[in-house]
Amino acid sequence: MSGGDRKKRTSRGQGWEEAGAEFYQESYPADVDLDVLQRDPSHLATLLPSKQSRAATAKRVRGEVKPTLRRRTSTRSRYHSTSRRASTTADVHVAMLPDLSENLSNEERTWEEIMQIKAMPVSMAQKKELKAKLQSATKLRLQGFEQFKWQRRKFWQQVKSRWKETYTKLELWRTSLKKIEGNFGIGVVAYFLFIKWLMFLNLTIFVFIFTFIILPTILLDTPATTCSSNSSNITNECQYSCENITEKNHDVILDTIQGTGWMENTLVFYGFYADKIFGVGSDAAFYYNLPLAYIAVAVVYFLVSLGAIVKAAARGFKERLVEGEGQFYQYCNLIFGGWDYCIHNEKAAVIKHKALYNEIKGCLEAERLEEERQSRSKEEKTKLVITRCIVNLIVIVVLAAGGFLIFETLEYSKQQLDGLKGEDTQIDSLNVLLFEYLPSIAIVGLNLLVPSLFAYLVTLEHYSPIFVVRITLLRTVLLRLASLVVLLQSFYHRIFVDLSLPCWETYVGQQLYKLVILDFVTHIAVTFLINFPRMLIAKHSKSKVAKYIGEQEFDLPKHVLDVVYTQTLCWLGSFYAPILPAMGTLECFFLFYIKKFACLVNSTPSSTVYRASRSNSLFMAVLLFSFLLAVIPVAYSLAESIPSKCCGPFTAQNTAWGIVVFTFNQFPTWIQSIIYFFSTAGFAVPAFITLSLCLYYFYAISAANKQMVQVLKNQLVLEGHDKQFLLNRLSAFIKQQQQEHQKAMRQMEMSSVAGMSNGS
Amino acid sequence: MGQGKSQFTEEELQDYQDLTYFTKKEVLYAHQKFKALAPEKVGHNKNAKLPMNKILQYPELRVNPFGDRICRIFSSSHDGDCTFEDFLDMMSVFSDTAPKAVKAEHAFRIFDFDGDDMLGVSDLRQVVDRLTGQQRLSEQDMQHLIQNILDEADLDDDGALSFAEFEHIISKSSDFANAFRIRL
Repeated sequence: MSGGDRKKRTSRGQGWEEAGAEFYQESYPADVDLDVLQRDPSHLATLLPSKQSRAATAKRVRGEVKPTLRRRTSTRSRYHSTSRRASTTADVHVAMLPDLSENLSNEERTWEEIMQIKAMPVSMAQKKELKAKLQSATKLRLQGFEQFKWQRRKFWQQVKSRWKETYTKLELWRTSLKKIEGNFGIGVVAYFLFIKWLMFLNLTIFVFIFTFIILPTILLDTPATTCSSNSSNITNECQYSCENITEKNHDVILDTIQGTGWMENTLVFYGFYADKIFGVGSDAAFYYNLPLAYIAVAVVYFLVSLGAIVKAAARGFKERLVEGEGQFYQYCNLIFGGWDYCIHNEKAAVIKHKALYNEIKGCLEAERLEEERQSRSKEEKTKLVITRCIVNLIVIVVLAAGGFLIFETLEYSKQQLDGLKGEDTQIDSLNVLLFEYLPSIAIVGLNLLVPSLFAYLVTLEHYSPIFVVRITLLRTVLLRLASLVVLLQSFYHRIFVDLSLPCWETYVGQQLYKLVILDFVTHIAVTFLINFPRMLIAKHSKSKVAKYIGEQEFDLPKHVLDVVYTQTLCWLGSFYAPILPAMGTLECFFLFYIKKFACLVNSTPSSTVYRASRSNSLFMAVLLFSFLLAVIPVAYSLAESIPSKCCGPFTAQNTAWGIVVFTFNQFPTWIQSIIYFFSTAGFAVPAFITLSLCLYYFYAISAANKQMVQVLKNQLVLEGHDKQFLLNRLSAFIKQQQQEHQKAMRQMEMSSVAGMSNGS
Repeated sequence: MGQGKSQFTEEELQDYQDLTYFTKKEVLYAHQKFKALAPEKVGHNKNAKLPMNKILQYPELRVNPFGDRICRIFSSSHDGDCTFEDFLDMMSVFSDTAPKAVKAEHAFRIFDFDGDDMLGVSDLRQVVDRLTGQQRLSEQDMQHLIQNILDEADLDDDGALSFAEFEHIISKSSDFANAFRIRL
């Protein structure tokens, strides 16, 4: 539509037309806008390009839909020129089609465009129309290699969508996850995904162990590895242990639970694996070095675990960094991303409403508290500091006491067991079981009771809600890991001070095996025997006490700890009991269902809002911490401690790591010298300096970027103010013009009326 | 599934696959879900127009505080009544594979109650009210909250959020894409 045309139609507001219409006419041709504008000049602001959404433009000119398609991936100028000029002739779709006169589109582009239609906010009918238009438009056929490339791209796309289809069908626990999501929201689902992730991690570790250690042993090893055949060349001490094992012929079930007896000398534990290089083929042309494989696999699965954790954590970290850049959009996130659209349960929706309300209140409250804190009197401050100090002291004392208790029970049970061994009667087998499990029971008991104490203590300290979650989690993690540390310490004592164990690696494996089993049993017992009845009490009783006892929220940090603890045991033990990762996989698998039951049946949704991204990075942080705790003792035992002389793959070495050194010494000299060079100061010092410089460089860049963001943001605000100012001036000007125009009209009318009256 | 298949030609399915974020199978699955809302009507005419209250029977939409807004945004007749194609569009935007930018655009329209292409104070008020449900924030808290939102996001200080500003917030929010999602 030309400018002249418009002038004819809108006779009012000539001044405005001349002043600014040219620009708007170009981009926003709708007459509607101008009419609105003249009625309400302040509406001008909504016409600014920065205020336009694609959808809005489509909506504004209703009936003649004109989506100004903003190409995200391929910005080609011809689209700009056409869509900008979008005329009001009813069919605006033409604007979006390739301008055939200018440039013939080729097949690939057309295809790309069709693929992009789906991103447009228009109705399906319009999309279909667009697609048909694009398809029917004449286009160049691609020639030769180009054609091939395009076909290949198309083919990949198809393969991808096929893969997606089959994957969604195969995806484990899809319906369960949807159900949990519908009732508890995405924060809790993140936890279940975490369990799933751990299960796959354990499965990977197990596959490694199975293919490189267990399978070769089964296939290549002759059954002659039992102690009797080997006993000729090993010490008396070992012979004793072998006899001891065969002598003890206990209950099969008890042995299975404890990992003793028949189980001790199976694939389950370290002791079974032989210090042998297997020959394959008739004249042993190929050989398989089991000890080397054993240690290499251990190194590999620790590295794989670390890699997986770091990768998962990095994803969360990246998101957090983007969020944290400049400022954190706390309130906006809460309002615009607060509702989980996946919730489909009415009760859950009510709770979600409540949770959001509380969260909003909490945020506002926290802000007020912050202000209050600044104005807090000195007396109150000191009081708070003292309370916090005391609470922390109590926590430390409790932790220490817990450690001491575990240590004492360990000692006690050891003494009792030694005493019982002397008597050796049938009735005592249950007692043996009890004392075998006593330390583990003490650990589990502490893990059940102390967290509630911590949860109470933290309320006295008046921290902000987020910090409360973190510090409670930290303390509980410390408790769990402290108990593990004590356990490890007692192992150390028994192994290297008492020297009473013939095959200490198997002993460690047995202890961890027991812990894993007990842990699993505890999960089942707590969920089905304690929490389930509690829920029933709360449901069927009206009294307040029952409600208080019975009602339970799905307390995410606690459940996270359960899984992380299991995983730590698994990492700790998989060197000494290679079957442990398989148990870990199974446990994670069943844990999913146990926790699902705990979540859907036993608990009500928590009144705190768990954000998926935040909780994910929390999981990974805790997991990384416990990973380090698991790696350190294992690495120490590999590098420093003397392996048992009568069992396991390292009988000939002074340390398990020795085999690696030994193999390394057999490498060609040039490889040795290269690697040796890496460990000299001549390489290390320059490398260290270069790395430090790089680090500094990136630090400087990030600091500069941060400043740049600040500057740009300030500039943006300034621009905004300028725009506001100009808009106000413009609308004032328009108003003035209108008034003058009206005045002039009135005068004209008056004069004409006067003229008419004069004439008459 | 067999019944669903007979209702669509291969070409239609191809169209739907090209124009949404779904595969053909998912389109059929979506149609099953749609059919479940009003079996007789849809069995008769696969693209039947269902009134808004029927669409709101869909579990996720029923409890969603913005359910009616969503229906209105995706309805091709703008009154909340949805055909299957509208429903498919809706589910496509809420699917896992839809990019954040597409989700953001629709979210903006959902939150823009008065349709002035800006999220003004009154829009924000409505959003917050719908989010908190039965509980109501006190007037003072509400004002405080809206002031905080505007402080965070309203870069040009005009007392309302434009689409560009909204998109900016969304691009920084890692939770939005997760939350703005309905599994079929």
